[in-house]
Amino acid sequence: MNSAPATSAATDGLIADLERASSTIELLQATAALARTADPAAAAALVQVLGFNNPGAAVAAVDGLIAIGPAAVDQLLQLDPRNYGARAWAVRALAGIGDVRGLDLLVEALLTDVGPSVRRAAAKGLGCLRLQALPADERPAIEQRCLEALVEAVSDGEWVVRYAVAVGLEGLAKGSAWPIEHSSRGCTCAALGRLSDAAHEDTPVVRLRAALALQRLPSF
Amino acid sequence: MAGEPINEDEALARLRDSDDPSMQYYGAWWLGRNRSQHPEAVPLLIEALQQRRPRDPGAGVEENAVARNAARALGKLAPAALAAVPELLAALADADDGLREAAARALGDLRAPEAVAPICMRLAGGPAVAGARQSASPRLMEPCEALLEALGDIGAATPEVLGVIEPFMAHDWPLIRSAAARALLQLSGEPRWAQPLLELLNDSQLQVRRAALMDLGAAGWRPAAAAISATLAENSLKLIALRGLIENGRGEPADEALLQTMDDLL
Repeated sequence: MNSAPATSAATDGLIADLERASSTIELLQATAALARTADPAAAAALVQVLGFNNPGAAVAAVDGLIAIGPAAVDQLLQLDPRNYGARAWAVRALAGIGDVRGLDLLVEALLTDVGPSVRRAAAKGLGCLRLQALPADERPAIEQRCLEALVEAVSDGEWVVRYAVAVGLEGLAKGSAWPIEHSSRGCTCAALGRLSDAAHEDTPVVRLRAALALQRLPSF
Repeated sequence: MAGEPINEDEALARLRDSDDPSMQYYGAWWLGRNRSQHPEAVPLLIEALQQRRPRDPGAGVEENAVARNAARALGKLAPAALAAVPELLAALADADDGLREAAARALGDLRAPEAVAPICMRLAGGPAVAGARQSASPRLMEPCEALLEALGDIGAATPEVLGVIEPFMAHDWPLIRSAAARALLQLSGEPRWAQPLLELLNDSQLQVRRAALMDLGAAGWRPAAAAISATLAENSLKLIALRGLIENGRGEPADEALLQTMDDLL
């Protein structure tokens, strides 16, 4: 584990408040206050909150971790996989941060997690990883993994996950290295075509979203 | 996919096996969940719906549980399940209020106009009779929420139907007011019935906020989009409500703006 960065006195005080919190409402307020600092030194404490089985506080902690950004990723990836509740919230945080180190966990969550809200967040996250800073030769393989996972999830049993897959595919194509590979474009169009086709997709809002993504595709 | 280890043939076989109610219960659920088009599904579900006995709180209520699940499944199997409307109308008069509730929801799902008069009859006493608490239980005399919602879904907007629903806007329970406002909004399209639902989005109880979200979605009331998005509740429920605005509603905000609101909640 990396040595902890020097914490500011203010952040230390807020972490101490969080540790003292003895009721649901105190926990929520202390988490929200710590989250607002967006201080990397708060990451470990916020990740701990994800495991407290308190949805309100977990939502606030996820917001804080996304605000901290890449500096929170190590802490998130160190979570024990057996702590299912915390991992589900971590997927949402990693999807929001968009750091490529979260790729494996997002792919695994999209394809295997039992919670539709976790798969939904993972699908959106795979469409908005921040790949611009990576060396140009590393990007295509990562984009290919995102695309393959999203295409596989087109047959997810929950409409909201398929909706998020349409959003993810659009985001991936938009953010993709230019020019987008011919074969990737074909895969994206085929997957969105299936989601927009009433013969395969029975949920109207999913068809509508996929059709919108297709319509936006030619201008990339 | 997680949680679906059986196939259609297995579900039909389980429903046929009347010696094992727990197997039948699951079989009925499976056929509805998967929108089975098998020609035997509806006849078997009708049989399961008829297979019940008077409610006995001291003993097992397994057989009524099967009948309730059969009713719920039939609601998901339009148009084939329109053949089950007479049996569902009979279930609407059953002594078991849980079965009446399931039958009302199914008749609403099937948009069965034949159900309007019997549902109005059950609600005719208003909040003080149909909506009164049962003496030994936290339930109401009639399953008002399901009955009101069914009237809204069936869509017969006559003055008589509106007149039966409107008194429930004064019920003590916010969940019943929410169901009544939803039905009035669906049937009349008048903005004054959206206002109580928007207020319930700020209720102190999560359960009430959730119900108001679902009701605004069912009514397709598009001006509620921003308020739905800002409600203190799970994003999963807000997404279902926004889906309802898109699929059931018209006007402003337009589709693309509503889709963007949904994207932001993923």
